[in-house]
Amino acid sequence: MSDFQQVAPQEISSPRVNARTSASKKKGASPRVNLRWKQLTDKAAGVVITAGGIAIIASIILILFVIVAETLPLWYAPTAQPTPTPALENPHPLVVGVDEYQEIVYFATAAGTIEFRSLTDGHILQRFEIAGLNGQQVTSAYRDGIQHEVAIGTSGGLIIPLRLVFTPKFVDGKRAITPEVREGKPLQIDEQGRPLTSLVYSENGGVVRAAALVGPRTLLFFSQQEKTSPLGESSLEQSRTDLSPQLKSDVTALALDQFQSNLLAGTASGELYHWPVDEPEKVQLRQTFSAVSTPGTGISVLGWLIGGRSLIVGDASGGVNVWVQVRNEENSQDTPYRKAHQFRSHRTQVTAVAPSPRDKGFLTADVGGTVLVHHSTSEQTLLELSTGTNSLPLLTFAPKANGALTVDSHGQLFRWDLHNLHPEITLKTLFGKVWYEGYEKPDYTWQSSSGTDDFEPKFSLTPLTYGTMKGTFYALLLAVPLSICAAIYTSQFMHPRIRSVVKPTVEVMAALPSVVLGFFAGLWLAPRIEKIVPAVFLLVIALPLVSLIASFVWRLIPLPVRSRLRPGTELAFLAPLLLLTMYACVSLSGYIDTIFFNGSFPQWLYTTTGVQYDPRNSLVVGFAMGFAVIPIIYTIAEDAFSNVPQHLISGSLALGATRWQTAIRVVLPTASPGLFSAVMIGFGRAVGETMIVLMATGNTPVMDFSPFNGFRALSANIAVEIPEAPYGGTLYRVLFLAALQLFVLTFLVNTVAEIVRQRLRERYSKI
Amino acid sequence: MNVSFGKFWKSGDPFIWMTGGALALSLIMIISLIVIVAANALGYYWPDRLVQVTLKDGTELLGQRIVSEPIPTPDTPAATVQSRTEFQVANRDLYGADFRWVNDADITARSFPAEALLFERWEWGPLFGFLTTVTQDGKVIAEGFARAWDKFQEIHPRTQETLERIHRIERKEIGDINYALEHARLGLKRIQTEERDPARAAKYVTALEQEIATLQHRYAEKAAELKTLYDENARYRFLVRAAGGKEKELPVAAVVRAFLPNQLSWWGRFKLYVTRLVEFVWDDPRESNTEGGVFPAIFGTVIMVLIMSMMVVPFGVIAALYLREYAKQGPMVRAVRIAVNNLAGVPSIVFGVFGLGFFVYVLGGGIDRLFYPEALPTPTYGTGGMLWASLTLALLTVPVVIVATEESLSSIPREWREGSLALGATKWETIRKIVLPGALPGILTGMILAMARGAGEVAPLMITGVVKLAPTLPLDAHAPFFHLERKFMHLGFHIYDVGFQSPNVEAAKPMVFMTTMLLIGIILLLNLTAIIVRNRLRNRLRFGTF
Repeated sequence: MSDFQQVAPQEISSPRVNARTSASKKKGASPRVNLRWKQLTDKAAGVVITAGGIAIIASIILILFVIVAETLPLWYAPTAQPTPTPALENPHPLVVGVDEYQEIVYFATAAGTIEFRSLTDGHILQRFEIAGLNGQQVTSAYRDGIQHEVAIGTSGGLIIPLRLVFTPKFVDGKRAITPEVREGKPLQIDEQGRPLTSLVYSENGGVVRAAALVGPRTLLFFSQQEKTSPLGESSLEQSRTDLSPQLKSDVTALALDQFQSNLLAGTASGELYHWPVDEPEKVQLRQTFSAVSTPGTGISVLGWLIGGRSLIVGDASGGVNVWVQVRNEENSQDTPYRKAHQFRSHRTQVTAVAPSPRDKGFLTADVGGTVLVHHSTSEQTLLELSTGTNSLPLLTFAPKANGALTVDSHGQLFRWDLHNLHPEITLKTLFGKVWYEGYEKPDYTWQSSSGTDDFEPKFSLTPLTYGTMKGTFYALLLAVPLSICAAIYTSQFMHPRIRSVVKPTVEVMAALPSVVLGFFAGLWLAPRIEKIVPAVFLLVIALPLVSLIASFVWRLIPLPVRSRLRPGTELAFLAPLLLLTMYACVSLSGYIDTIFFNGSFPQWLYTTTGVQYDPRNSLVVGFAMGFAVIPIIYTIAEDAFSNVPQHLISGSLALGATRWQTAIRVVLPTASPGLFSAVMIGFGRAVGETMIVLMATGNTPVMDFSPFNGFRALSANIAVEIPEAPYGGTLYRVLFLAALQLFVLTFLVNTVAEIVRQRLRERYSKI
Repeated sequence: MNVSFGKFWKSGDPFIWMTGGALALSLIMIISLIVIVAANALGYYWPDRLVQVTLKDGTELLGQRIVSEPIPTPDTPAATVQSRTEFQVANRDLYGADFRWVNDADITARSFPAEALLFERWEWGPLFGFLTTVTQDGKVIAEGFARAWDKFQEIHPRTQETLERIHRIERKEIGDINYALEHARLGLKRIQTEERDPARAAKYVTALEQEIATLQHRYAEKAAELKTLYDENARYRFLVRAAGGKEKELPVAAVVRAFLPNQLSWWGRFKLYVTRLVEFVWDDPRESNTEGGVFPAIFGTVIMVLIMSMMVVPFGVIAALYLREYAKQGPMVRAVRIAVNNLAGVPSIVFGVFGLGFFVYVLGGGIDRLFYPEALPTPTYGTGGMLWASLTLALLTVPVVIVATEESLSSIPREWREGSLALGATKWETIRKIVLPGALPGILTGMILAMARGAGEVAPLMITGVVKLAPTLPLDAHAPFFHLERKFMHLGFHIYDVGFQSPNVEAAKPMVFMTTMLLIGIILLLNLTAIIVRNRLRNRLRFGTF
């Protein structure tokens, strides 16, 4: 048996195979071993190829999973883990704060000290006696919730500024933090020496502004700045303003922003008083407005989000709102406060608020012992943390925004570890309109980075998706009619010999790298099109018209001459004619410009319609991307047309239909699914095209359908931003989400197209 | 005119002509793109004459004419529109701008001075002007055009040789020393963090410290040698008077080549043209990539495409063999086939994102933590590089190879397989000796198409390892010779970078056109090869069927 197997192939196989088998036979030892070897290799090959094949295909499909996995953390719900805290013997601190590593908590106490305590066991690390008190009592204290700066108000009308510094030192690889207090000069806020019951304080580059209450309706504003006289001597210039006459209700909360330009006071009647304090000598009330959720309740707390532009208002009925200054369109000086965001209410009065030092999140606490974690921009209340039933007058965020700390009215400390990686991301912030700080109204905005620290990244994918769709639309607008007409002509009317040259030429165009097309469009085409915009529109009309006229003129040529030329050679006449038309249109463009558009279309466009002409615009992109899409649609459509069974065409022609009638009534309907899939695949290519849109548009994320300005597409956005995106950050994951969006879109479109095409193939085989 | 218009309309001929027009238009678009790129690229290196222009206000300009156009003046009758001309006046360091527009009406005189010189410089772009003196150690050794020019031509080759020597020392010899130093330092760090036995650690440390000391000594020697070479080159300087009277003194070594464009014969021009072309292909870029050559980009592209093909072909063929020969054909395999097919249509940037997220950060970061902890936090593999870029492209192009291979596998006549099996060959033998050789041209086509696609892709490379200027090539004389973790340059990215990120786009344009033409050339060549191979395959199978 084995002998037969060995001999047989040699005798009958083709010479090529023969040569190889005989060579391998020489190497083989005995036939029996050889057979076993053969079976072994066969099995091994089977296993290797099956395993390898599955592994390779699986790893290709892994792409999708990796991309999805990178985007998943965006949706993780935030979590809070209560952590044990030491008991405190000092029950009534005035201000609380915690260091960056959450190892040390500090308090300002009514006894006139700053206490630093270890968060692990509660022992006092350091106690600082405030020297500037000089026997006065501490009556109030203020901290903005972000900096480690505390201002102490005294019974003698003084404010004592304190700066707390934490210096980490690494000894034997272990971290040891030394806290330190730097005391500033006391400032006399009230010249009558009344006790300050509540205060706000801000110091910035030597300029101090503060406001304090000395009675429920007595509000004092204080300002101090260094003035340099022309002689070079510097002196401190102080000013004090009594704001009380303007108050009509008891003040319950104060807020002064970090720019030292807005002072706000909340009252028991629920109204906010707003004083611009840019010029300390001329402090005047600008407006009063009701800022509570339910009318009639009082404002209980005020606070600023990081950046100092959004005001958090908590009221006695538990309402939490964020107000922002909005520029009045008629009067740029007038910037009234508007309610931008409303959050889930507390059941009882809001007692404290703490901004996040990292993002636009904040905490609020209430009388009933509940803490809520909010995120302002995304308008979400992320978590509810419960401590018991005691009121919570003090609240703070850890500096890395990874922890929250509160003290209840009995002096009990509570702390949570927060895991809140991407609080700003919700479906609404990604795709809906969002009201960002500094904007006049909710809008779709993409702006991922900026120079300043308190900048809030804006991740709306809507303008990018819009840009992608806009580019695709203009590309298909050019490519679909051109390529389908070209495909009809090539498959139905063209001489086969020319066809065998033309088709590969167009196919090679598909291989042109998109960076070449992008470069061509951006650097060569864009500046030229800018000069001949009218010609571009003229060409759209002129080119088909010239083809029409050409066919008519052709008709006039006497039949004997015409019949010498075979059908399908029209192309040879048309091409030079079209070139001439183009040349004529471009030359005419200057005249059209002078006659209709005062010499320059871009300028005319700007003055008459207000649309800015951008040299790298959608028109140019559409043209360049059309280049990329035409060969794809053309190839698939041409295949679909030329695979229409010949007997259908012959039948139609035999029944007396003209070539055109056959093409339109027989070939086109039969091949229409093929056309559909051709357009779909072209669409997929245009959607994902990166380099062309990157190079031929201005990459500004605007939402405007005008063909004369640019856009920013999803793909180009990824290419530009992902190299700068920190690994694992929000931007990084949002860009993965954008990639996923592209992947899913193109994959779906291509799958539909592929299935349609396979159906079509089956249909052809049945006809 | 016996043809009625209605009948003509009904015949459908006008529509046929219109579809024909569409095709003609598409063809015109393609051909004109290639012609425009080629014309812009090839014309650039042809040495043009230097024209001296005197303007009405007495200004003199020396430059090469770039283009003339009518001045866009609104509200003027077309007949009175004036024209203007753009000149490349070069001398960036003297005038600030390379190009200047001049109204033709302002020109009073034009001449082509025979003594006008064109200096191509290592830095600051070209210099146009008249040679006045050549100095050595600050003393004038030749004055007047004829003698200075002779002297210049005598000295210039020597300075360039010295310069070459300087470059060799800087790149090769000092580069080697630095490489060894870095190696030794990392070794030291590794021992300090990993070696538990203090005695052995101390021994290694002393040995390495000694090595470092030797290397530093050698470095100092080389630096001294460099200094003498630099000093030697600094001795020779020359003075040029530019148009308008401004003078500029330069070291002779700063000039790449100098010639008299207005005295060149056709043959001389041709020789210069070829020299410049050769320089473009073989030299390193200068002036932030806007001048010089693109050799590192060509090299990077070629190596990347080769590595990619080495991975993509076996993987693609195995996957196709599995799908076509081993997998049980059914809805599952059909679905997988459609999925693989469609992956070819997934945007390349998505693959790039995957490459960055998975290869660079996950795999690369893992490799760094395991094998290169001493270099952290500087990433070795945890950043974009040749390996990751090639792998990403391999993933991108593997569907192309799978589809092409499957197609050619399915075109092997059934009789061939049946014949082989009937003669007692096992399945694997049939595949190896009958099916695969028959499918080889198809596989080759797939590979070439994959290479063409890989060579032209830019978007995924931008985020997985391509840079605008790589200091070292991914292949050099240091063991292990292939440095796949290194970043590299790429022709496609070069186009994007020079054309769009360069500070002086106008001056860089010719370079971009040249690179574009090179890239188009490579890709068209690859595609034509694929088409030819495919046609061969068809013919062979037609005759091979029995």
